[in-house]
Amino acid sequence: MSDTKGKLRKYKIVFLGDQSVGKTSLITRFMYDTFDEQYAATIGIDFLLKTVYLEDNQTIRLQLWDTAGQERFRLLIPSYIRDSHVAVVCYDISNKRSFANLDKWISDVRLERGDEVLVVVVGTKSDLSNKRQVTSEEAEALCSRVGGAFFVETSTKANHNIKQLFKRIAQNLSGSSDENGVDNQAQDTAGTETIDISINTESVAPLRCC
Amino acid sequence: MNVKSNGGLLHGTPSITIAGGVANSDSTTPDKSEASLYPTPSFTHPDLSLSSQLCVNHQRNNSAYSANVSLIDIYGADSIIELSPKKAQETETPMNANILDSLDTEEGDTTDELSVQNKVSKSFSTNRTISTSSIIPPGSVKSSDYESEMKRMLLPYPMSISKVQDILNSEFDMYGFKKETSLHVISRQRYDSWFKDYSEYLNNRQKKWELLMRANGLSVRTGQIPTRFPPKSDKVKKMIRRGIPPEWRGNAWFFYAGGYEKLNKHTGIYAQIIEDTRGLNNKDTEVIERDLNRTFPDNILFNEMVVTKLSKTSSTSFTNVENESETPMIQSLRRVLVAFSYYQPQIGYCQSLNFLAGMLLLFMDEERAFWMLVILTERIIPNVHSKDLEGVHTDQGVLMLTVKEYIPSLWSILGRTYDGEILEKDKILTRLPPVTLVTSSWFMSLFVGILPIETTLRVWDILWYEGSKTVFRVSLTVCKMCLEDPDFQRTGSSSTMGVETEQIELFQFLQNYPKCLLDPNEVVDKCFKKIGGYGFGSISQDEINHCRDFVSKQRAKMKDRKLSALNAELTDEERSILLANSNFDNEIHDVYGFHRSIMSGVVWNRNISSKMKKKFSRKHSTD
Repeated sequence: MSDTKGKLRKYKIVFLGDQSVGKTSLITRFMYDTFDEQYAATIGIDFLLKTVYLEDNQTIRLQLWDTAGQERFRLLIPSYIRDSHVAVVCYDISNKRSFANLDKWISDVRLERGDEVLVVVVGTKSDLSNKRQVTSEEAEALCSRVGGAFFVETSTKANHNIKQLFKRIAQNLSGSSDENGVDNQAQDTAGTETIDISINTESVAPLRCC
Repeated sequence: MNVKSNGGLLHGTPSITIAGGVANSDSTTPDKSEASLYPTPSFTHPDLSLSSQLCVNHQRNNSAYSANVSLIDIYGADSIIELSPKKAQETETPMNANILDSLDTEEGDTTDELSVQNKVSKSFSTNRTISTSSIIPPGSVKSSDYESEMKRMLLPYPMSISKVQDILNSEFDMYGFKKETSLHVISRQRYDSWFKDYSEYLNNRQKKWELLMRANGLSVRTGQIPTRFPPKSDKVKKMIRRGIPPEWRGNAWFFYAGGYEKLNKHTGIYAQIIEDTRGLNNKDTEVIERDLNRTFPDNILFNEMVVTKLSKTSSTSFTNVENESETPMIQSLRRVLVAFSYYQPQIGYCQSLNFLAGMLLLFMDEERAFWMLVILTERIIPNVHSKDLEGVHTDQGVLMLTVKEYIPSLWSILGRTYDGEILEKDKILTRLPPVTLVTSSWFMSLFVGILPIETTLRVWDILWYEGSKTVFRVSLTVCKMCLEDPDFQRTGSSSTMGVETEQIELFQFLQNYPKCLLDPNEVVDKCFKKIGGYGFGSISQDEINHCRDFVSKQRAKMKDRKLSALNAELTDEERSILLANSNFDNEIHDVYGFHRSIMSGVVWNRNISSKMKKKFSRKHSTD
């Protein structure tokens, strides 16, 4: 998408999806590699920034926009997703309703951004497999129906597929992705933690007082 | 008998009570038995009428803005108490702003109010009691760590400042929150070193409050929490700004916010709603259910796991969290939120109400917390939680206009569009600056989760006493403190990344900045002090009301124009989303002028001389 080398490329990624599917948890795992059973509900929006180093020595800056999931906050969508490059739409694999609502979230995104945005479908809480209500096949089908870039199941608790998710996003953004090489990651990559996205300590929120 | 005294229910003994229970041990209440936790319908006291007359600045309903609030709710009770302005003028009060406000309040609603009251009390006079056992299963709390932590907090009451050493030794503050906040924004060491000093401050304030009470003929017995407080005055206002003693907070908030008036007019209704909503299952209750455990996961009263987790190793067990027993506080929170969504269907449940209700429940019983939520959403921040979040847009418009007026140097940074284009003064409302995405949540959750706990509580002390202008004053204070922070200026100047990213960096800074404001006195002093502070105390409720009125009228106008221009082929849903977008790109609106000169308003003239006198005499005092 962007081509100038040397200059830091910036991308805006918006996280959407029903309340309590685990958007904040997903972002927190990626940002700080920590996990809590409960996070306080997100009100309005949370901005997070992270610099990511890709394998080919490229550096990109990600703006992560964490949003509130309750329906009435959808009214704010246009202002959230203005100028966004990626919309990560999340559902909880143990909650069919959250999956059913994906269509709404995606149509909000398309209404505002058309095809200028990369849509990524993410199933969360894959560790709750005994309570699964949505199969990965269903989600895969939805993803291709809505023209999503890719679909992946994740678990922040088991730290499953989180880095892979962001790596694939980065690859899609930088246009250097080898689609086939990462195609099977949705199924089973819990063991393979060799990921080239390195954590940049500088990106921890700029709080001056600790 | 009750639905509300959490503490008593917790251990099944009436001797251990949380704030709400203690709150009712007022020596002036005729019936002191545990059973009469509610003030009786006939409950009145001498100061009540006085205080309500002085509350008029919260209760104006003659502006177009507040007229949006539904005055008749499903129970047929009127939402806004209108008071006779004559009486208010007769009462001698130094609160000049209140007098000015009361001048344009209209007379004559008192009789209506009475008739409604009678109607209500007739229809809801029965069925007030709900058996405890049916609500909270006994023995639901087991963990021994939890028990011991609770004991520390509950004896003699949860937030005793007398046990400073206990608090210093604990992982938790006096309200049950973990001292160390998530992501270590505030470390335990930092908290403790601050609290050592602050606890002394609290003790001094407690003594001053006791003196104030005695001077007003109100008795204060050791270990007892007053239910009556001095009438509003300049002196009391100053005392409130310096903080209400933690144990007294719930009662003082309730008293000054007009809680008694509300409660007495609606006796038994809360219990009735609890009956009516038992087993209720709808969209709101589903959303509420999902937010209960996500309200204060780091507070021991809301999440006992927060203690057991401390003694656990880092490897998280994969037990099913949903099967963990609920704390009584979670159950109270559920009832209050469900009751509220049922009582205020035009709001229903809105995320962030959970934080407001949760905070109230730390300081008062369920019924009172419920009515305080009602007061808040009707009078103080109306429409902010409504389905279209219209109040959020209105108040953000007002905030942006005040930023432009009072902190122009910040406006020159933030008063831009996403693309960095400078917003002309006739486009501010049509294209609200993106920074409002950060500040919206300040209004929705009234700084809960935004500022550290004690700072939030100090803001709430002022808010319940002085009204919605407090939210604006404090927001401006936080913005200006942030602006003056060297790191903010550094973030802004490292502009190698282009305008948009630079803005996002600033937003993130502004978003995280308030979490560090651990010392409430710093914030309050900055806000109100004219020398060494920003003097935002000069922004009157009148000004805020005018400005809200202006913004909501402009928004309505723009909406009309937009609606007529909208393509008829769109579905309702698409239309609502388009409408919700504040980017009415090429639209312009009228320009708002602030009335900063005291000579500008007509209503001001009647009191201008006394106001001037006060203004000049105050110049010589320190505050």
